[in-house]
Amino acid sequence: MKDRLKRCFIINEDNPVLTRGARTVNIILVLLLLTGLFWFGFSRLNYPFYWDTIWKYRVSFFSGFKLTILISLFSLALSLAIGLVSGLAQSLPFVPFRVLSRVYVEGIRGTPLLVQILIFFYVIANALGVNNRFIVGIVIMSIFSGAYISEIIRSGVESIGESQLETARSLGFTRGQTYRYIIFPQVISRILPPLAGQFASLIKDSSLLSIIAIKEFTMAAREVNANTFSTLESYIPLAVGYLLLTLPVSALTKYLERKYSYAS
Amino acid sequence: MRLEISGLTKRFGDHVVLDRVDLSMRDVKSLVIVGPSGGGKTTLLRILAGLERPEAGRVHINDHELHFREEYLREYRKRVGMVFQAYNLFPHLTALENITLPLVRVHGVPAAKAREEALALLERFDLAEHAYKKPAALSGGQKQRIAISRAVAIKPEFLLLDEPTSALDPEYTAEVLDLIEELHEEEMRLMLVTHEMGFAKMAADRMLFIGDGGILAQGTPEEVFEHRDDVRVRQFFEKVLKY
Repeated sequence: MKDRLKRCFIINEDNPVLTRGARTVNIILVLLLLTGLFWFGFSRLNYPFYWDTIWKYRVSFFSGFKLTILISLFSLALSLAIGLVSGLAQSLPFVPFRVLSRVYVEGIRGTPLLVQILIFFYVIANALGVNNRFIVGIVIMSIFSGAYISEIIRSGVESIGESQLETARSLGFTRGQTYRYIIFPQVISRILPPLAGQFASLIKDSSLLSIIAIKEFTMAAREVNANTFSTLESYIPLAVGYLLLTLPVSALTKYLERKYSYAS
Repeated sequence: MRLEISGLTKRFGDHVVLDRVDLSMRDVKSLVIVGPSGGGKTTLLRILAGLERPEAGRVHINDHELHFREEYLREYRKRVGMVFQAYNLFPHLTALENITLPLVRVHGVPAAKAREEALALLERFDLAEHAYKKPAALSGGQKQRIAISRAVAIKPEFLLLDEPTSALDPEYTAEVLDLIEELHEEEMRLMLVTHEMGFAKMAADRMLFIGDGGILAQGTPEEVFEHRDDVRVRQFFEKVLKY
């Protein structure tokens, strides 16, 4: 009995792989524990749930959800472009570009997104006369996420061993050819997992755009809450909605990690 | 092959690896460079490959002088075949692609012709069955033979080999040396750094002993092996030929 319990719950040198059944048992156990915890919490709270008031706002939730997906997708594309330019700029021969890219990356990564959104929206976009919040939102998220992608790309390029670069040199490849035929094909498979992870962060981080009144998913929940005073009923669907988006991305990340850890 | 070197000096930081090396050799078919580790053999070979720039000195190979500027060196490297100790095949490409990529992209050979030539080379070196494998699926000996094929495929003026068997399991050493010997017999000009003294004796028509940043002995293999005036050369051979 003791042995069977051990085999079900413990992974170590004697029992390196769990059976499928044992894995399911573990997952159910954890879910039960969490359910119990929440159950206990809510029962102590004595909170009366009014789900029917929230149901009336489902259209508002749904359109916010859609907008979050749209902003995330557009931002992903734009931040990839920004990240690529910035990541590669760090190995350009012209030094001011390297410095500019470094300043950009450190500046963005070192300051809160909240402040970036406020400054970009109220100062820069305002000065440029851009009023379309959807576009401003995408640009802000892209600039923010681009700094992280820049680092992902830079570290990917640096992960290609010096010996390969030297071999390319010895064969007469130019710098451009080395990037195109030697570095990129290898880097792309290496950076796909962290890029997918960055996409999951992007989806969640876009919730901060609600502070400049972009009607994305979080803003929708805030509005519903303001109208109904049903706080938990407004925000619990929000959590579920984000999970619906991030869990598949996270699964994709895991899949990519597995796929490419064997390939190389 | 003619090789003229004068005043060649290379430093890494404070460490002088080559100290005002002079050398003059004519009609070299295969030059083998031996000597203790850290003595400067590999650095000399890398300078001759256009991969390292000396602090001072001049190098003439055949009828041209090496200019140590990137623009010149890139053109120069296209005419030189280089084989590394650790094979350095590109891991994301198959054996065949490792050979065709430089042919197509650097030398402008049409893809179909490059493929044909590469397959012919692989066939010749008994590697045809591995053409579509990636390096991870190949043994060390096969990888090094493919790396040599890659270097030969560009029809280089001469071939430089930096300890091509040092990273191999002993069982694979022979197949790589056989291949080098075959190239030697086909009049491919070779410069080779190696610790395989038996092979050096057999394949070299000239030999250099490099140690302490300079040339301690040179001549035919017999002359160098028998060169016992210099205590450093004598001690080195006593050690490596002991077993």
